[in-house]
Amino acid sequence: METIDLKNVERAYKTAAGQSWVLRRINLRIQPGEFITAMGPSGAGKSSLLNVLALLDDEWSGEYWFGEQPVHELKRKQRAELAKRRIGMVFQSYHLLDDLTVQENIDLPLSYKDIPRDRRQSMVADVLDRFQIVAKKDLYPSQLSGGQQQLVGVARAVIHKPALLLADEPTGNLHSTQAKEIMELFQELNREGTTIVQVTHSETNASYGSRVIQMRDGWIVSDSSNPQLQPQDQAVSR
Amino acid sequence: MNLLTDIRYALRQFRKSPGFTLVAVVTLALGIGATTTIFSLVDQVLLRNLPVRDPDRLVMLQYEGSNTGRTSSHGGENGQYFSYPMYRELRDRNTVFSGMAAMLPTQVGLQWHDTPGLANAELVTGNYFDVLGVHPTMGRLFMQSDEGPKGSSPIAVLSFTYWQRRFGSDPKILNQTVMINGSPYTVIGVSSPQFRSAIPGTAPDVFALMNMKPQITPGWDDLDVPRSVWLNVVARLKDGVSVQQATAGINPLWKALRAEELKTITTKNEDFRKRFVEKSQMLLVDGSKGFSGFRDQLQTPLFILMGMVGLLALMACANVAGLLLVRAAGRVREMSVRYALGATRKRVTRQLLVEGTLLGAMGCLCGIVLAPLLSGTLLRVIFTNTDTLPLNSSPDARVLIFTIALSLGISLIFSITPVLQFWRPNVTPALKQQMLTAAGGHVAFRRAIVAVQIGLSVILLVGAGLFIRSLRNLRTVEVGFVTDHLLTFLVDPRMSGYSLNEVGPLYQKMLDTLSAQPGVKSVALTDNPDLANNNNTYNIVVPGVEDPDNRRPNAEWERVSPSYLSTLQLPLLAGRFISDSDQLNTLKVATVSAGFARLYFGSTDGVIGRVFQHGKDGDKFTVVGLVGDAKHRGVRQDPEPTFYTSIFQEKEPTSVEFYIRTYQEPGQAASTIRTSLHQLDSKIVPDQLQSMESQIEGILSTERLLAMLATGFGVLAVVMAAVGLYGVLAFSTAQRTREIGVRMALGATRVMVVRMVMREVVWLGGLSTIVAIPISLVLAQALRDQLFGISARDPLTIMGVTLTIGLVACTAAFVPARRASSVDPMTALRYE
Repeated sequence: METIDLKNVERAYKTAAGQSWVLRRINLRIQPGEFITAMGPSGAGKSSLLNVLALLDDEWSGEYWFGEQPVHELKRKQRAELAKRRIGMVFQSYHLLDDLTVQENIDLPLSYKDIPRDRRQSMVADVLDRFQIVAKKDLYPSQLSGGQQQLVGVARAVIHKPALLLADEPTGNLHSTQAKEIMELFQELNREGTTIVQVTHSETNASYGSRVIQMRDGWIVSDSSNPQLQPQDQAVSR
Repeated sequence: MNLLTDIRYALRQFRKSPGFTLVAVVTLALGIGATTTIFSLVDQVLLRNLPVRDPDRLVMLQYEGSNTGRTSSHGGENGQYFSYPMYRELRDRNTVFSGMAAMLPTQVGLQWHDTPGLANAELVTGNYFDVLGVHPTMGRLFMQSDEGPKGSSPIAVLSFTYWQRRFGSDPKILNQTVMINGSPYTVIGVSSPQFRSAIPGTAPDVFALMNMKPQITPGWDDLDVPRSVWLNVVARLKDGVSVQQATAGINPLWKALRAEELKTITTKNEDFRKRFVEKSQMLLVDGSKGFSGFRDQLQTPLFILMGMVGLLALMACANVAGLLLVRAAGRVREMSVRYALGATRKRVTRQLLVEGTLLGAMGCLCGIVLAPLLSGTLLRVIFTNTDTLPLNSSPDARVLIFTIALSLGISLIFSITPVLQFWRPNVTPALKQQMLTAAGGHVAFRRAIVAVQIGLSVILLVGAGLFIRSLRNLRTVEVGFVTDHLLTFLVDPRMSGYSLNEVGPLYQKMLDTLSAQPGVKSVALTDNPDLANNNNTYNIVVPGVEDPDNRRPNAEWERVSPSYLSTLQLPLLAGRFISDSDQLNTLKVATVSAGFARLYFGSTDGVIGRVFQHGKDGDKFTVVGLVGDAKHRGVRQDPEPTFYTSIFQEKEPTSVEFYIRTYQEPGQAASTIRTSLHQLDSKIVPDQLQSMESQIEGILSTERLLAMLATGFGVLAVVMAAVGLYGVLAFSTAQRTREIGVRMALGATRVMVVRMVMREVVWLGGLSTIVAIPISLVLAQALRDQLFGISARDPLTIMGVTLTIGLVACTAAFVPARRASSVDPMTALRYE
């Protein structure tokens, strides 16, 4: 179990007018086993923060510690390796591959880890069983409901038992009943020890977590674990 | 294991997109099939060794130096022909070859069970099969000991394909008797299936021994004539002897034999004597592929075709690459997810290469199936009027290996495009997209591919245009006589058992019979057919006119019937033509062409009454008339100097070609002609009964082939380019829907929108054409020798191609432009 630390992390995009900041002096410590919700209006930087945490984005500055590992000093390939082993991601649009069956979609991240086929089959079978989707293993995503697709998305994200699970609006395309099922699943995973960071607009979803951080214009403006936090307190001399 | 997963996934993808898969596979099949077809021909004609024992130990004999006398050639250089006495001397007195054989292709009448027919034959020496190392399928082949005195060896060997075709592979044919030119021959064996001849491009049906030449080529013995050269000679090097050593060893003997021969030639010309002996030398040319004058004829056209199919294969690559790019635009999300889930670049590349290779494999399979069909059709175009094709239409192992390697290469090339597209994934933006397909993508790359396709189309179309115009020029060139409403056929009564002194009267009967047929205007004959890729030249001596260098070209000699002038409608310029009064016992007279008169008499004036003879010791002729020049060998060549004598002044006339001028279309008279000849004598078989126009088409087979294939390739290329262009325009106008909506909302008219789309067409098509045309002009220089009456830089052709490309591009742009101009601004502004 690792603590994840972001220190003075910033991200900007070049525009015709100069630079557009999407993350500003982010300082965030994530304890093992926490269930954090990032909230805020559109353009606040929530998804950008998630992409940095997921190591999908390389163009940020600052320090990112994954346990004892200084991610900010790792090369691209090393970061990819770290993400492959320790991080799982759930997307709002599920992002299942349409031409793969449920079983094959869940197996996909394992196939990139050079795990022997037998062991992979066993791991996939366990997850299918755990998520009660054994009967649907040979169906294609187009044959599933939204909730079922997201369930498969979550199964795929956790099959390799990541230390950190990131979810970007995981229930954004689901109706309330399906959303409830997914959130309860996240809660269960969190109870089992998975650290979760979710981005959501929904207060209901936020209530499943243990900590809420509010973001505005790229800043963390409030953190339920630190009621005294002021935006200017984020400034840390480099 | 993961490789199998990639293969399974790829097949699933193809099944899910049958349209894409079909278009890609068909495109590849056409490119690969066409390339395989042409390579198969190139391989057989230019690259493949004879299917004999140790072909690399074979050499063809060829000499440099002057000659005098008669040369009977079927292609290649004159130095590749030897007389039979010379061959025997070289064979018996050399010390460097383990065997030396000789051969002559010819044609015979072969009758089996009262069914007459014509057959291709090859006269060979007794050791022919032994020197080559060919084994029989059945029975035995010739041996040296079979070749005895003249006419003493009436035995024949059948070719394998002829045995299959004519005798139904019946093993009982062994030791049976067949009639060849009216004489009985015993079939002693069948040659091997793979072997045809040491002269590739010929497909003899039957082999006969050299000492039977007087029967096989009646009226043309020449076995004992040292200055009649007509044999090709092949030799096998002794073990341990290199080509260089053999050359050094044979030349002293060659010079000695030439010196002996020179003693029998009465010329005081020192230069000629030097070129005959001292400066003459024997060359030993690689014989592993046999002798083929036909190879020289086809070499350049085949290389041109190989270049064209290479371009076509490239077009197929570009087309499939374009299709894959379109698909890739719809797979950005998939690839981003794969990368996000931990796929490495290597894994993604492997997956894409597997997909590409599978597509290539499917195209390869279809191409291999298509190739024999294309090949068979091509061979029929090249070799008209033969039952047995001298080349195989089915690809063999070498060609299959080439095809597979080509397919692999093509697969790798077109797979590069999606590999490059996903080489550096930009994962985050792609994952943010809600749609399955990402907007944008590598449109510039697709434009580049379409530009390449248009450029390649221009190059192929320029080639096609030049060949088409060249062919048209050849078809309409003035040949010196009237070619329409003219029927022709060949006949050789000696092949039906007629003796030499019966042939003349028979020809007169045939002339009379055919003239009396309804629809026939006039009938004539010649022993030296016109426009049949045939020549029969003789050395001409004019008494009192010296030719110290002996460098004047020989003249064509045509022995004709008196009606020849009127039937062919040659212009009579002075005097008279051969007439009925010119018979066996009258003064030998000749009518000469204007070219002949200029060459040998210095002018066309005052030629009537002049005398000349063929060779120093030949017959003398008095000129009685002057006619206009007429092309003889082919439509490409300039008219040769020609002299005409009466065939009825010959003691022993030989085979002839009949000409029948008809009132109606020649095809309508063909069956009447056949019937009347059959009624005259059922044994007479008219060969190659066709109109003169068909005959001309026959000698233009190479040009027709080039024009046909170049046009086919060009059209295919244009279609591919048009489809590619349509795809790019459709995609980019779809992308610009919102922009178009805004423009129209702000006042742009539909015409302005169409102009916007067409600007892209003009830019793409125009730039490609501007770049491709200079390249075409450079490449067209390689076609120079194949063209006729047209420059390789013909501006009309260039203009025509440019217009065609413009038209095609506008057609391809029509639908996208119309769609763009039909955009409803309100709908477009809600688009996303």
